Amino acid sequence: MQDEIIRYENAGIHFGSKKVLSNFSLCIPKGKKILMKGKSGTGKSTLFKILLGFEQLSEGSVYYRGVPLSPRVAWQIRKDVAYVSQDTDLGEGPVRDLLEEVRSYRPNREKIAPEKLHILMQELELEKDILEKDFENLSGGEKQRIGILIALLLERDIFLLDEATSALDAGLKKKVAEHFLKHSHWTLFVISHDREWEKDGVEIVTIGSNGSD
Amino acid sequence: MTSPDISIPSLILCFLLLVIPLAISYRIKLQISRTTIDSVSRMTVQLGMVGVFLTYVFDLNNGVLNLAWVMGMVTIASYTTIRNVELKMNKLLLPVILSFMAANLSVLLYFNEFVLDLGNLLEARYLIPIGGMILGNSLRGNIVGMGEFYEDIRRNENRYLYSLSLGASRYEALIPYIRKCLRSALRPTLANIATAGVVFLPGMMTGQILGGTSPILAIKYQISIMVALYVSTAMSTSFSIFSTIQTTFDEYGLVKKEIYREKGKRKGTRK
Repeated sequence: MQDEIIRYENAGIHFGSKKVLSNFSLCIPKGKKILMKGKSGTGKSTLFKILLGFEQLSEGSVYYRGVPLSPRVAWQIRKDVAYVSQDTDLGEGPVRDLLEEVRSYRPNREKIAPEKLHILMQELELEKDILEKDFENLSGGEKQRIGILIALLLERDIFLLDEATSALDAGLKKKVAEHFLKHSHWTLFVISHDREWEKDGVEIVTIGSNGSD
Repeated sequence: MTSPDISIPSLILCFLLLVIPLAISYRIKLQISRTTIDSVSRMTVQLGMVGVFLTYVFDLNNGVLNLAWVMGMVTIASYTTIRNVELKMNKLLLPVILSFMAANLSVLLYFNEFVLDLGNLLEARYLIPIGGMILGNSLRGNIVGMGEFYEDIRRNENRYLYSLSLGASRYEALIPYIRKCLRSALRPTLANIATAGVVFLPGMMTGQILGGTSPILAIKYQISIMVALYVSTAMSTSFSIFSTIQTTFDEYGLVKKEIYREKGKRKGTRK
Protein backbone atom coordinates (compact mmCIF):
# COMPACT_ATOMS: atom_id res chain seq x y z
CA MET A 1 0.00 0.00 0.00
CA GLN A 2 2.92 2.29 0.62
CA ASP A 3 3.66 2.96 -3.03
CA GLU A 4 0.07 3.68 -3.95
CA ILE A 5 -0.01 6.84 -6.05
CA ILE A 6 -3.63 7.41 -7.03
CA ARG A 7 -6.79 5.82 -5.70
CA TYR A 8 -10.42 6.52 -6.58
CA GLU A 9 -13.00 5.16 -4.18
CA ASN A 10 -16.63 4.90 -5.33
CA ALA A 11 -16.11 8.02 -7.37
CA GLY A 12 -19.12 9.56 -9.07
CA ILE A 13 -19.45 12.42 -11.51
CA HIS A 14 -22.66 14.27 -12.27
CA PHE A 15 -23.01 17.00 -14.84
CA GLY A 16 -25.97 18.94 -13.57
CA SER A 17 -28.63 16.32 -12.96
CA LYS A 18 -27.04 13.81 -15.35
CA LYS A 19 -24.98 11.05 -13.76
CA VAL A 20 -22.12 10.22 -16.09
CA LEU A 21 -20.12 8.02 -13.77
CA SER A 22 -20.80 6.27 -10.51
CA ASN A 23 -19.08 3.82 -8.22
CA PHE A 24 -15.75 4.08 -9.96
CA SER A 25 -12.90 2.58 -7.97
CA LEU A 26 -9.31 2.22 -9.11
CA CYS A 27 -5.98 1.97 -7.38
CA ILE A 28 -2.80 2.89 -9.25
CA PRO A 29 0.43 1.85 -7.54
CA LYS A 30 3.80 3.30 -8.48
CA GLY A 31 5.09 2.13 -11.85
CA LYS A 32 1.68 0.91 -13.02
CA LYS A 33 0.49 1.56 -16.56
CA ILE A 34 -3.25 2.06 -16.93
CA LEU A 35 -5.03 2.57 -20.22
CA MET A 36 -8.53 3.90 -19.71
CA LYS A 37 -11.06 3.38 -22.49
CA GLY A 38 -14.70 4.19 -22.92
CA LYS A 39 -17.11 6.21 -25.03
CA SER A 40 -16.91 9.96 -24.97
CA GLY A 41 -18.97 11.65 -22.30
CA THR A 42 -18.25 9.00 -19.70
CA GLY A 43 -16.20 11.35 -17.53
CA LYS A 44 -12.72 10.01 -18.32
CA SER A 45 -11.14 13.43 -18.76
CA THR A 46 -12.99 14.65 -15.70
CA LEU A 47 -11.29 11.94 -13.62
CA PHE A 48 -7.97 13.58 -14.55
CA LYS A 49 -9.23 17.07 -13.89
CA ILE A 50 -10.42 16.03 -10.45
CA LEU A 51 -6.91 14.93 -9.53
CA LEU A 52 -5.56 18.30 -10.62
CA GLY A 53 -8.22 20.11 -8.60
CA PHE A 54 -9.94 21.54 -11.68
CA GLU A 55 -13.22 19.74 -11.01
CA GLN A 56 -14.87 18.28 -7.93
CA LEU A 57 -16.14 14.74 -7.46
CA SER A 58 -19.89 14.56 -7.04
CA GLU A 59 -19.57 11.55 -4.75
CA GLY A 60 -16.91 9.26 -3.39
CA SER A 61 -13.29 10.20 -2.83
CA VAL A 62 -9.82 10.40 -4.38
CA TYR A 63 -6.51 9.82 -2.65
CA TYR A 64 -3.04 10.83 -3.69
CA ARG A 65 -0.31 8.83 -1.99
CA GLY A 66 -2.91 7.81 0.57
CA VAL A 67 -4.00 11.36 1.42
CA PRO A 68 -7.52 12.52 0.51
CA LEU A 69 -7.59 15.25 -2.08
CA SER A 70 -7.64 18.78 -0.69
CA PRO A 71 -6.46 22.11 -2.11
CA ARG A 72 -3.02 21.51 -0.61
CA VAL A 73 -2.79 18.05 -2.15
CA ALA A 74 -4.01 19.31 -5.53
CA TRP A 75 -1.26 21.98 -5.61
CA GLN A 76 1.26 19.22 -4.81
CA ILE A 77 -0.09 16.98 -7.57
CA ARG A 78 0.35 19.83 -10.05
CA LYS A 79 4.05 19.82 -9.17
CA ASP A 80 4.46 16.05 -9.28
CA VAL A 81 2.38 15.03 -12.26
CA ALA A 82 2.86 15.74 -15.95
CA TYR A 83 -0.51 16.29 -17.59
CA VAL A 84 -1.13 16.33 -21.34
CA SER A 85 -4.64 17.46 -22.19
CA GLN A 86 -6.68 16.72 -25.30
CA ASP A 87 -5.93 20.13 -26.72
CA THR A 88 -2.72 21.62 -25.46
CA ASP A 89 -3.17 25.37 -25.22
CA LEU A 90 0.05 27.10 -24.28
CA GLY A 91 -0.99 30.61 -25.22
CA GLU A 92 0.17 33.07 -27.83
CA GLY A 93 3.65 33.76 -29.06
CA PRO A 94 6.75 31.88 -30.20
CA VAL A 95 7.12 28.36 -28.82
CA ARG A 96 10.55 29.22 -27.43
CA ASP A 97 9.13 32.02 -25.26
CA LEU A 98 6.31 29.82 -24.04
CA LEU A 99 8.74 27.06 -23.05
CA GLU A 100 10.76 29.71 -21.22
CA GLU A 101 7.60 30.74 -19.38
CA VAL A 102 6.96 27.14 -18.31
CA ARG A 103 10.55 26.92 -17.20
CA SER A 104 10.15 30.05 -15.07
CA TYR A 105 7.62 28.32 -12.77
CA ARG A 106 9.29 27.60 -9.48
CA PRO A 107 9.09 23.76 -9.55
CA ASN A 108 10.50 23.70 -13.09
CA ARG A 109 13.62 25.80 -12.60
CA GLU A 110 16.74 23.98 -13.75
CA LYS A 111 14.52 21.74 -15.89
CA ILE A 112 14.17 21.89 -19.68
CA ALA A 113 17.86 21.47 -20.45
CA PRO A 114 18.74 22.50 -24.04
CA GLU A 115 20.49 19.20 -24.90
CA LYS A 116 17.52 17.22 -23.71
CA LEU A 117 15.17 19.50 -25.59
CA HIS A 118 16.96 18.79 -28.87
CA ILE A 119 17.09 15.05 -28.36
CA LEU A 120 13.39 14.89 -27.54
CA MET A 121 12.47 17.17 -30.41
CA GLN A 122 14.28 14.85 -32.78
CA GLU A 123 12.54 11.86 -31.31
CA LEU A 124 9.17 13.57 -31.73
CA GLU A 125 10.10 14.54 -35.29
CA LEU A 126 9.83 18.25 -34.57
CA GLU A 127 11.91 20.56 -36.76
CA LYS A 128 14.24 22.95 -34.96
CA ASP A 129 12.60 26.02 -36.45
CA ILE A 130 9.34 25.19 -34.69
CA LEU A 131 10.73 26.99 -31.65
CA GLU A 132 10.53 30.28 -33.52
CA LYS A 133 6.99 29.73 -34.77
CA ASP A 134 3.92 31.11 -33.02
CA PHE A 135 2.23 28.41 -31.02
CA GLU A 136 -1.27 29.37 -32.15
CA ASN A 137 -0.32 28.77 -35.80
CA LEU A 138 0.86 25.20 -35.27
CA SER A 139 -1.16 22.25 -36.53
CA GLY A 140 -3.07 20.04 -34.11
CA GLY A 141 -0.43 17.34 -34.33
CA GLU A 142 2.37 19.81 -33.68
CA LYS A 143 0.61 21.28 -30.66
CA GLN A 144 0.07 17.79 -29.34
CA ARG A 145 3.76 16.98 -29.71
CA ILE A 146 4.71 20.20 -27.92
CA GLY A 147 2.44 19.07 -25.07
CA ILE A 148 4.21 15.69 -24.95
CA LEU A 149 7.58 17.42 -25.22
CA ILE A 150 6.85 19.59 -22.19
CA ALA A 151 5.57 16.63 -20.19
CA LEU A 152 8.83 14.78 -20.87
CA LEU A 153 11.06 17.78 -20.21
CA LEU A 154 9.66 18.37 -16.74
CA GLU A 155 11.34 15.19 -15.52
CA ARG A 156 8.31 14.05 -13.59
CA ASP A 157 7.46 10.39 -13.25
CA ILE A 158 3.69 10.33 -13.01
CA PHE A 159 1.84 11.03 -16.25
CA LEU A 160 -1.77 11.82 -17.01
CA LEU A 161 -2.11 11.57 -20.77
CA ASP A 162 -5.52 12.51 -22.14
CA GLU A 163 -5.72 11.47 -25.81
CA ALA A 164 -2.16 12.71 -26.10
CA THR A 165 -1.43 10.86 -29.35
CA SER A 166 -4.76 11.20 -31.17
CA ALA A 167 -3.52 13.60 -33.88
CA LEU A 168 -0.22 11.84 -34.61
CA ASP A 169 0.45 9.47 -37.50
CA ALA A 170 0.67 5.75 -36.79
CA GLY A 171 4.46 5.61 -36.76
CA LEU A 172 4.75 8.41 -34.25
CA LYS A 173 1.95 7.06 -32.06
CA LYS A 174 3.94 3.85 -31.71
CA LYS A 175 7.15 5.68 -30.97
CA VAL A 176 5.57 7.90 -28.31
CA ALA A 177 3.76 5.01 -26.64
CA GLU A 178 6.97 2.98 -26.56
CA HIS A 179 8.92 5.88 -25.13
CA PHE A 180 6.51 6.22 -22.24
CA LEU A 181 6.10 2.50 -21.65
CA LYS A 182 9.79 1.65 -21.53
CA HIS A 183 10.38 3.42 -18.20
CA SER A 184 9.42 0.87 -15.61
CA HIS A 185 9.28 3.34 -12.71
CA TRP A 186 6.98 5.77 -14.53
CA THR A 187 3.37 5.70 -13.46
CA LEU A 188 1.13 6.13 -16.49
CA PHE A 189 -2.55 6.91 -16.47
CA VAL A 190 -3.59 7.13 -20.10
CA ILE A 191 -6.87 7.88 -21.84
CA SER A 192 -6.61 6.84 -25.46
CA HIS A 193 -8.39 5.16 -28.33
CA ASP A 194 -5.05 4.34 -29.94
CA ARG A 195 -4.13 0.65 -30.20
CA GLU A 196 -0.47 1.57 -29.85
CA TRP A 197 -0.91 1.80 -26.09
CA GLU A 198 -2.26 -1.75 -25.75
CA LYS A 199 0.99 -3.47 -24.88
CA ASP A 200 2.06 -6.09 -22.38
CA GLY A 201 2.08 -4.76 -18.86
CA VAL A 202 -0.64 -2.23 -19.61
CA GLU A 203 -3.85 -2.75 -17.72
CA ILE A 204 -6.95 -1.75 -19.64
CA VAL A 205 -9.81 -0.21 -17.69
CA THR A 206 -13.07 0.30 -19.52
CA ILE A 207 -15.52 2.73 -18.04
CA GLY A 208 -19.04 3.80 -18.84
CA SER A 209 -20.28 0.30 -19.67
CA ASN A 210 -21.64 -0.41 -16.22
CA GLY A 211 -23.20 1.52 -13.40
CA SER A 212 -24.39 4.72 -14.97
CA ASP A 213 -27.36 5.06 -17.26
CA MET B 1 -13.03 87.82 -20.69
CA THR B 2 -15.71 85.29 -19.82
CA SER B 3 -17.48 82.60 -21.80
CA PRO B 4 -20.83 83.45 -23.39
CA ASP B 5 -23.82 82.00 -21.56
CA ILE B 6 -25.57 78.94 -23.00
CA SER B 7 -29.29 79.54 -22.82
CA ILE B 8 -31.85 76.77 -22.37
CA PRO B 9 -33.03 76.99 -26.02
CA SER B 10 -29.37 76.66 -27.11
CA LEU B 11 -29.04 73.52 -24.98
CA ILE B 12 -32.10 72.10 -26.70
CA LEU B 13 -30.46 72.84 -30.06
CA CYS B 14 -27.44 70.90 -28.82
CA PHE B 15 -29.57 67.89 -27.84
CA LEU B 16 -31.04 68.00 -31.35
CA LEU B 17 -27.68 66.73 -32.64
CA LEU B 18 -28.43 63.40 -30.95
CA VAL B 19 -30.90 62.64 -33.72
CA ILE B 20 -27.89 61.65 -35.83
CA PRO B 21 -26.55 58.75 -33.71
CA LEU B 22 -30.14 57.70 -33.01
CA ALA B 23 -30.85 57.54 -36.73
CA ILE B 24 -27.71 55.52 -37.32
CA SER B 25 -28.64 53.20 -34.48
CA TYR B 26 -32.13 52.72 -35.91
CA ARG B 27 -30.94 52.20 -39.47
CA ILE B 28 -28.32 49.54 -38.83
CA LYS B 29 -29.93 48.08 -35.70
CA LEU B 30 -27.10 49.04 -33.38
CA GLN B 31 -29.56 48.80 -30.50
CA ILE B 32 -28.02 51.64 -28.62
CA SER B 33 -30.95 54.08 -28.86
CA ARG B 34 -32.22 53.25 -25.40
CA THR B 35 -28.77 53.40 -23.89
CA THR B 36 -28.10 56.70 -25.63
CA ILE B 37 -31.27 58.26 -24.28
CA ASP B 38 -30.67 56.77 -20.83
CA SER B 39 -27.09 57.95 -20.71
CA VAL B 40 -27.82 61.45 -21.92
CA SER B 41 -30.74 61.87 -19.51
CA ARG B 42 -28.66 60.55 -16.65
CA MET B 43 -25.84 62.90 -17.50
CA THR B 44 -28.18 65.88 -17.71
CA VAL B 45 -29.85 65.16 -14.38
CA GLN B 46 -26.55 64.33 -12.66
CA LEU B 47 -24.73 67.40 -13.93
CA GLY B 48 -27.74 69.59 -13.16
CA MET B 49 -27.72 68.37 -9.56
CA VAL B 50 -23.95 68.61 -9.34
CA GLY B 51 -24.10 72.19 -10.61
CA VAL B 52 -26.50 73.17 -7.84
CA PHE B 53 -24.68 71.14 -5.23
CA LEU B 54 -21.20 72.30 -6.16
CA THR B 55 -22.32 75.91 -5.79
CA TYR B 56 -23.07 75.16 -2.12
CA VAL B 57 -19.99 73.02 -1.60
CA PHE B 58 -17.73 75.68 -3.04
CA ASP B 59 -19.36 78.34 -0.87
CA LEU B 60 -19.01 76.25 2.28
CA ASN B 61 -15.56 74.94 1.28
CA ASN B 62 -15.41 72.61 4.27
CA GLY B 63 -12.43 70.21 4.01
CA VAL B 64 -14.24 67.23 5.49
CA LEU B 65 -17.25 67.75 3.25
CA ASN B 66 -15.02 68.07 0.18
CA LEU B 67 -13.23 64.86 1.01
CA ALA B 68 -16.55 63.13 1.61
CA TRP B 69 -17.66 64.30 -1.81
CA VAL B 70 -14.55 62.74 -3.37
CA MET B 71 -15.18 59.49 -1.43
CA GLY B 72 -18.68 59.46 -2.85
CA MET B 73 -17.21 59.78 -6.33
CA VAL B 74 -14.80 56.91 -5.57
CA THR B 75 -17.68 54.67 -4.56
CA ILE B 76 -19.69 55.48 -7.65
CA ALA B 77 -16.67 54.99 -9.91
CA SER B 78 -15.97 51.57 -8.36
CA TYR B 79 -19.58 50.54 -8.64
CA THR B 80 -19.73 51.64 -12.27
CA THR B 81 -16.54 49.75 -13.11
CA ILE B 82 -17.86 46.45 -11.79
CA ARG B 83 -21.24 46.92 -13.42
CA ASN B 84 -19.63 47.59 -16.76
CA VAL B 85 -17.41 44.52 -16.69
CA GLU B 86 -20.33 42.13 -16.15
CA LEU B 87 -19.15 41.04 -12.74
CA LYS B 88 -21.04 40.69 -9.51
CA MET B 89 -20.69 43.28 -6.78
CA ASN B 90 -20.42 41.31 -3.57
CA LYS B 91 -16.90 39.91 -3.87
CA LEU B 92 -15.47 42.82 -5.82
CA LEU B 93 -16.82 46.12 -4.57
CA LEU B 94 -14.68 46.42 -1.47
CA PRO B 95 -11.31 45.63 -3.09
CA VAL B 96 -12.10 47.94 -6.00
CA ILE B 97 -13.15 50.82 -3.72
CA LEU B 98 -9.99 50.38 -1.66
CA SER B 99 -7.85 50.29 -4.81
CA PHE B 100 -9.48 53.42 -6.19
CA MET B 101 -9.05 55.21 -2.87
CA ALA B 102 -5.43 54.22 -2.36
CA ALA B 103 -4.38 55.07 -5.91
CA ASN B 104 -6.45 58.11 -6.72
CA LEU B 105 -6.49 59.85 -3.36
CA SER B 106 -2.74 59.59 -2.96
CA VAL B 107 -2.10 61.01 -6.43
CA LEU B 108 -4.71 63.72 -5.89
CA LEU B 109 -3.30 64.85 -2.57
CA TYR B 110 0.28 64.70 -3.87
CA PHE B 111 -0.78 66.79 -6.83
CA ASN B 112 -2.47 69.41 -4.65
CA GLU B 113 0.39 69.54 -2.18
CA PHE B 114 3.48 69.42 -4.38
CA VAL B 115 2.40 70.44 -7.86
CA LEU B 116 -0.20 73.11 -7.14
CA ASP B 117 1.30 73.95 -3.78
CA LEU B 118 -2.12 74.77 -2.33
CA GLY B 119 -2.33 76.25 1.14
CA ASN B 120 -5.41 74.14 1.78
CA LEU B 121 -5.04 70.60 0.41
CA LEU B 122 -8.77 70.07 0.53
CA GLU B 123 -9.74 73.28 -1.26
CA ALA B 124 -13.01 72.47 -3.02
CA ARG B 125 -12.23 74.33 -6.23
CA TYR B 126 -9.25 72.02 -6.88
CA LEU B 127 -9.95 68.84 -4.98
CA ILE B 128 -13.31 68.09 -6.56
CA PRO B 129 -12.73 68.84 -10.27
CA ILE B 130 -9.22 67.37 -10.35
CA GLY B 131 -10.40 64.39 -8.31
CA GLY B 132 -13.19 63.95 -10.82
CA MET B 133 -10.80 63.95 -13.76
CA ILE B 134 -8.43 61.49 -12.13
CA LEU B 135 -11.30 59.20 -11.15
CA GLY B 136 -12.91 59.43 -14.57
CA ASN B 137 -9.73 58.34 -16.27
CA SER B 138 -9.13 55.55 -13.75
CA LEU B 139 -12.67 54.41 -14.31
CA ARG B 140 -12.06 54.00 -18.01
CA GLY B 141 -8.76 52.22 -17.44
CA ASN B 142 -10.32 49.89 -14.91
CA ILE B 143 -13.25 49.00 -17.12
CA VAL B 144 -10.86 48.00 -19.91
CA GLY B 145 -8.34 46.32 -17.61
CA MET B 146 -10.67 44.43 -15.30
CA GLY B 147 -13.05 43.60 -18.11
CA GLU B 148 -10.33 42.13 -20.26
CA PHE B 149 -8.68 40.29 -17.39
CA TYR B 150 -11.79 38.46 -16.20
CA GLU B 151 -13.06 37.84 -19.72
CA ASP B 152 -9.72 36.45 -20.83
CA ILE B 153 -9.46 34.15 -17.83
CA ARG B 154 -12.90 32.81 -18.60
CA ARG B 155 -12.42 32.44 -22.34
CA ASN B 156 -8.96 30.92 -22.12
CA GLU B 157 -9.59 28.88 -19.02
CA ASN B 158 -7.88 25.81 -20.50
CA ARG B 159 -4.69 27.73 -21.01
CA TYR B 160 -4.73 28.95 -17.42
CA LEU B 161 -5.49 25.47 -16.06
CA TYR B 162 -2.70 24.03 -18.17
CA SER B 163 -0.24 26.46 -16.59
CA LEU B 164 -1.44 25.38 -13.15
CA SER B 165 -1.00 21.74 -14.12
CA LEU B 166 2.61 22.49 -15.06
CA GLY B 167 3.28 23.57 -11.50
CA ALA B 168 2.72 27.30 -11.82
CA SER B 169 1.62 29.18 -8.74
CA ARG B 170 -1.55 31.21 -9.13
CA TYR B 171 0.54 34.33 -9.59
CA GLU B 172 2.84 32.67 -12.15
CA ALA B 173 -0.14 31.42 -14.13
CA LEU B 174 -1.93 34.77 -14.01
CA ILE B 175 0.91 37.10 -14.82
CA PRO B 176 0.58 36.80 -18.64
CA TYR B 177 -3.10 37.78 -18.31
CA ILE B 178 -2.24 40.64 -15.96
CA ARG B 179 0.40 42.00 -18.32
CA LYS B 180 -1.95 41.84 -21.25
CA CYS B 181 -4.86 43.58 -19.57
CA LEU B 182 -2.74 46.31 -18.00
CA ARG B 183 -1.29 47.09 -21.41
CA SER B 184 -4.78 47.40 -22.85
CA ALA B 185 -5.90 49.54 -19.93
CA LEU B 186 -3.06 52.01 -20.27
CA ARG B 187 -2.89 52.19 -24.04
CA PRO B 188 -5.73 54.75 -24.48
CA THR B 189 -4.27 57.08 -21.84
CA LEU B 190 -0.83 56.81 -23.41
CA ALA B 191 -2.28 57.51 -26.83
CA ASN B 192 -4.07 60.55 -25.42
CA ILE B 193 -0.86 61.80 -23.88
CA ALA B 194 1.12 61.30 -27.06
CA THR B 195 -1.40 63.08 -29.26
CA ALA B 196 -2.31 65.89 -26.86
CA GLY B 197 -2.19 69.23 -28.61
CA VAL B 198 -1.74 67.68 -32.04
CA VAL B 199 -4.97 65.82 -32.55
CA PHE B 200 -7.11 67.38 -29.88
CA LEU B 201 -7.03 70.07 -27.25
CA PRO B 202 -7.68 68.28 -23.98
CA GLY B 203 -10.91 69.09 -22.18
CA MET B 204 -9.48 70.78 -19.17
CA MET B 205 -7.24 73.04 -21.18
CA THR B 206 -10.11 73.96 -23.46
CA GLY B 207 -12.21 74.75 -20.42
CA GLN B 208 -9.55 76.96 -18.90
CA ILE B 209 -8.97 78.81 -22.15
CA LEU B 210 -12.71 79.32 -22.59
CA GLY B 211 -12.74 80.57 -19.01
CA GLY B 212 -10.11 83.19 -19.81
CA THR B 213 -6.85 81.64 -18.57
CA SER B 214 -3.71 82.28 -20.62
CA PRO B 215 -2.80 79.36 -22.93
CA ILE B 216 0.61 78.96 -21.30
CA LEU B 217 -0.83 78.48 -17.83
CA ALA B 218 -3.56 76.24 -19.24
CA ILE B 219 -0.89 74.09 -20.87
CA LYS B 220 1.13 73.76 -17.69
CA TYR B 221 -1.99 72.58 -15.90
CA GLN B 222 -2.73 70.19 -18.71
CA ILE B 223 0.76 68.69 -18.70
CA SER B 224 0.71 68.06 -14.98
CA ILE B 225 -2.81 66.69 -15.00
CA MET B 226 -1.98 64.26 -17.80
CA VAL B 227 0.92 62.89 -15.83
CA ALA B 228 -1.34 62.56 -12.81
CA LEU B 229 -3.99 60.78 -14.89
CA TYR B 230 -1.51 58.27 -16.24
CA VAL B 231 -0.01 57.54 -12.85
CA SER B 232 -3.33 57.17 -11.10
CA THR B 233 -4.77 54.97 -13.83
CA ALA B 234 -1.73 52.71 -13.81
CA MET B 235 -1.87 52.48 -10.02
CA SER B 236 -5.58 51.97 -9.62
CA THR B 237 -5.88 49.38 -12.38
CA SER B 238 -2.96 47.35 -11.01
CA PHE B 239 -4.33 47.63 -7.48
CA SER B 240 -7.80 46.58 -8.61
CA ILE B 241 -6.52 43.52 -10.43
CA PHE B 242 -4.18 42.43 -7.66
CA SER B 243 -6.66 43.03 -4.87
CA THR B 244 -9.66 41.42 -6.55
CA ILE B 245 -7.57 38.33 -7.32
CA GLN B 246 -7.50 37.76 -3.57
CA THR B 247 -11.28 37.37 -3.43
CA THR B 248 -12.19 35.98 -6.85
CA PHE B 249 -10.12 32.78 -6.87
CA ASP B 250 -10.73 29.73 -4.71
CA GLU B 251 -8.22 27.63 -2.80
CA TYR B 252 -7.61 25.48 -5.85
CA GLY B 253 -6.56 28.58 -7.77
CA LEU B 254 -9.67 28.53 -9.96
CA VAL B 255 -11.68 31.63 -10.71
CA LYS B 256 -15.01 31.49 -8.87
CA LYS B 257 -17.72 31.06 -11.47
CA GLU B 258 -20.24 32.91 -9.34
CA ILE B 259 -18.47 36.25 -9.78
CA TYR B 260 -19.67 36.42 -13.37
CA ARG B 261 -23.06 37.91 -14.06
CA GLU B 262 -25.14 35.79 -16.38
CA LYS B 263 -24.58 37.04 -19.86
CA GLY B 264 -25.43 34.44 -22.42
CA LYS B 265 -25.32 30.76 -21.60
CA ARG B 266 -22.67 29.14 -19.49
CA LYS B 267 -22.13 25.49 -18.81
CA GLY B 268 -23.88 24.59 -15.58
CA THR B 269 -21.51 24.70 -12.64
CA ARG B 270 -20.31 21.23 -11.92
CA LYS B 271 -20.65 20.40 -8.31
